[in-house]
Amino acid sequence: MSLDQFLGRVNELESEATAAIAAVADSQQLETVRVRFLGAKNGVLKEVEKLFGTVQPSDKRVAGKRLNEVKQTLLQSFESAKESLLSGPARRTGPAPDPTLPGTPMRLGHLHPVTQTIEHLKEIMGRMGFTTAEGPEVEDPWHNFVALNIPEDHPARDPLDNFYLATAGATAGAEGTRLLRSQTSTVQIRVMESTTPPVRIISLGRVYRPDAPDATHFPMFHQMEGLLIDTEVTMANLKTVLRVFANNYLGGDVEIRFRPSFFPFTEPSVEVDFLWDGNWIEFGGAGMVDPAVLTAVGYDPEQYSGFAFGLGVERLCMRRHEITDIRDLFSGDVRFLRQF
Amino acid sequence: MLVSWKWLSRYVDLPMPLAELEQRLALSGLNHESTSSVGDDFVIDLEVTSNRGDCLGHIGVAREVAVLYDLPLRTPIVDLASGRDDISLLTSVSNEFPEACSRYTARLIQGVKVGPSPQWLSASLQSVGINSINNVVDATNYVMLECGQPLHAFDFDALDGRRIVVRRAREGETIEAIDHRSYTLDPAMCVIADASHAVAVAGVMGGAASEVTEQTANLLIEAAVFAPLSVRRTARKLKLFSPSSFRFERRVDLQRVDWASRRVCELILNSGGGEVVAGVIDTAPQSPQAAPVVLRFSQLKRLLGIEIDRDEVLRILSALGCQQVGEAAGRVELQTPSWRHDLTREVDLIEEVARIHGYDKIPEDHPIPVVASAKRPFDVAVEKIRGVLVAAGISEAMTPSIVTDKLDAMVSPWTQTPALATEVPMLEGARKLRRSLLPSLLQSRASNWSASSTHADLFEIAHVYLPGKNADDLPTEQYTLGIVSGLDFYTLKGVLDELAARLGLPSPLAIESTPIDGLDDDWSVQIRGADQTIGYLSVLHPRLTKELKLPGEVTLAELSLGALLQAAKLVPTQRSVSTFPSIQRDLNLIVDESVQWASLEHAVRAAVGTELAAVTYKETYRNPGKDGPDRKRILLAVELQKSDATLTGTEADAMVASILANCEQAVGAKLLS
Repeated sequence: MSLDQFLGRVNELESEATAAIAAVADSQQLETVRVRFLGAKNGVLKEVEKLFGTVQPSDKRVAGKRLNEVKQTLLQSFESAKESLLSGPARRTGPAPDPTLPGTPMRLGHLHPVTQTIEHLKEIMGRMGFTTAEGPEVEDPWHNFVALNIPEDHPARDPLDNFYLATAGATAGAEGTRLLRSQTSTVQIRVMESTTPPVRIISLGRVYRPDAPDATHFPMFHQMEGLLIDTEVTMANLKTVLRVFANNYLGGDVEIRFRPSFFPFTEPSVEVDFLWDGNWIEFGGAGMVDPAVLTAVGYDPEQYSGFAFGLGVERLCMRRHEITDIRDLFSGDVRFLRQF
Repeated sequence: MLVSWKWLSRYVDLPMPLAELEQRLALSGLNHESTSSVGDDFVIDLEVTSNRGDCLGHIGVAREVAVLYDLPLRTPIVDLASGRDDISLLTSVSNEFPEACSRYTARLIQGVKVGPSPQWLSASLQSVGINSINNVVDATNYVMLECGQPLHAFDFDALDGRRIVVRRAREGETIEAIDHRSYTLDPAMCVIADASHAVAVAGVMGGAASEVTEQTANLLIEAAVFAPLSVRRTARKLKLFSPSSFRFERRVDLQRVDWASRRVCELILNSGGGEVVAGVIDTAPQSPQAAPVVLRFSQLKRLLGIEIDRDEVLRILSALGCQQVGEAAGRVELQTPSWRHDLTREVDLIEEVARIHGYDKIPEDHPIPVVASAKRPFDVAVEKIRGVLVAAGISEAMTPSIVTDKLDAMVSPWTQTPALATEVPMLEGARKLRRSLLPSLLQSRASNWSASSTHADLFEIAHVYLPGKNADDLPTEQYTLGIVSGLDFYTLKGVLDELAARLGLPSPLAIESTPIDGLDDDWSVQIRGADQTIGYLSVLHPRLTKELKLPGEVTLAELSLGALLQAAKLVPTQRSVSTFPSIQRDLNLIVDESVQWASLEHAVRAAVGTELAAVTYKETYRNPGKDGPDRKRILLAVELQKSDATLTGTEADAMVASILANCEQAVGAKLLS
């Protein structure tokens, strides 16, 4: 056999075997291919090796070199095919996958945005040493009014401005003996009644006022109030704490200001504004605890002073999440809730 | 309070720009709402807090400006020409209700000509949005808006008996007010009456019958002080609010009453002629003076945290109308002005100094001392609970605490005592303080379905209000977790078991069948703690499912957080894990239909000691052909393991034999052979 004929046969073997190995999908097919090309008895390689004997002795060096090359290549291809069948996934046989299809949705619930806001507030105030306190939502007039220096003739006690509970003896429109609290300051009274100073708490929870519901009003909402009572507490401390709070909650260096206001339970009383995106935003009310309140809970106002502040949680929550209608918060509508 | 720039400038010079004044007023207590221009005037809307009745007149606002800018205040001097006759011969005032009316003064004007007001007067009123009526009514309105004292002019000849009686309204007495609507009064209300009828609702509104008209020639001018609470309650009850009731509710200046009376007479005479009858009837000419207040200068620093110069303190207080009546080391004694009912204590004066001096002077670099604060165990537990529920795909809702009668009646697992109710409804007739969170959540699930065909799996953590034993007790407020979902019963049960495990409670939770109204008796169970009920788990009764138009079965659970927390162990501690191999055996047991898993599991557990690492339920199936009717097969797996050695096959065989014997004895279980 001529050298050219032999080399042609060798090349044929190489291309056929390479194609066959590449097309293999599982180890059974690979075995079939192995037997066909590399089989010890009737493999194609064996046949080609037999033909080598018919090559002219002068051509044997070139022919032998080429035969050996192809043999090594095929053995290697076979080994690596065997390996990839063992380790890698089976080769795709069907249509191409589409990795751009959407991921399978994860069924995870959502925390209410008001809860998220409350947790955020608790976390910031906690770092300033304020412990969380809670109390009942149904209160007596002592805790909701009297101890908070809200006397009987004060408009805040009006039956139309409060949810008094119906009792057997009560007449409609009269002030009752129990009501849904209109502020969480009731908790402060309860804590002070049972604690000796220093006191450093935030009280949190639902409060109730008969407002007609609209985009910014709801007859039920959440308040957070802070209270600090100690021997040397000043309005400068109050301003500092609120400033730190604002910097924390809003991020960055936030300017705050006090505007005089009136609350029965603080004196002096102020409205607190934050400068947010170039606008003064009302944050809430604050002030130094009124001596009448300190006296009501048995503290000596000559010995102790303190500050208190309060804010509406929903307002902060709505601003943060760009919620435009407070009623959505209490709708239970999953289309709303799952956005948070 | 609407303030006219031009009007204000009658009492104090206004050299400052408008915007600056608005800002200064806002930062000293009169919050600026808006400003509009009316003709050649500016009208500033100021928010006046309820303690500052003195700022419900232009003079009061002018005084604030004068103090802020250290300018002189010009209060008009009244020079009222004394007329003939003697008022006491022409009329009388009898005050039969002094609790509601602490002072009543009357003056008479004779021969007045009622007509249009002079231009300056009608323009002043129009600038602050009040229509000009006639020179008499306009004068009363003008003086009210000048000094804050409401006034009323009666047509004297329309008063029966030409006299005034201040008294309680009679039961069922009616009056047609000057708004020409009729009001029914009751004896809690104070009226101004003539000899026979009520002619005005005291401090609220005058009556139509004695209204001043073009024909009126003689006037009785009322300047009085009515009790805030009485006026407020009357106005509220009648739903009749007026500038006058607004001012009486915020208290008027007792000392200003007579000035206002003379001032209005002067204005009426200037425009309508006539003559003031000599003298005045005054039921309380000697008005009491408030006790002086002591101010210790040291207290300013103590509360405000800053030093304020003593001269500045005294300048501010004196400009506000305080008069120094005494002095000692480090303190002054001050008589507070009669128009400032809110200044009765030292701290009130400190606030005055602070707000005028400026809160911007209070520094922001006075940190509070460091103290430790810890999360309450309650908060730790609730965080874990929320985490488990969110991971279970359940979202948190917040729903109103007050529910309708219909919702209240739906499900109430905790109590059968009727719910407490509010006097006035909160929303859509809802008055009941909810005894369970489940109805609210069911309603949310139903509205999610009807609005968007969404299956809402919801939970809420809030108080439920369990009424006390006696009608007047405060309710027990139980912090409660409510869950309403479309998960199947066992999935929700699994969520609760995981919840229990995360809180360190024994898991699975111990349960006991309990029928609950509104829920499906086949499924209703209560979850038991050591000695109390932790909660309930069930499936909504098909009747309610249909009523709420809910698609498919609804599972629900309600747990008391207090009871959960009592049983919880929030800090997990490690139990050692056996390093020896365990042996697992599947047991296929045939039992009667009536045998429940709990009793079978109990029988398995009772048969083996600590070597029983786990009992796992696999499945239930039935083969009546082979096993006979009313029999079922329960496939379970037991895992056996020793903590100190490798369990041998022989040992395991003995344990399994013991399990099978115990199961047969306890529940009649037979191993499928």
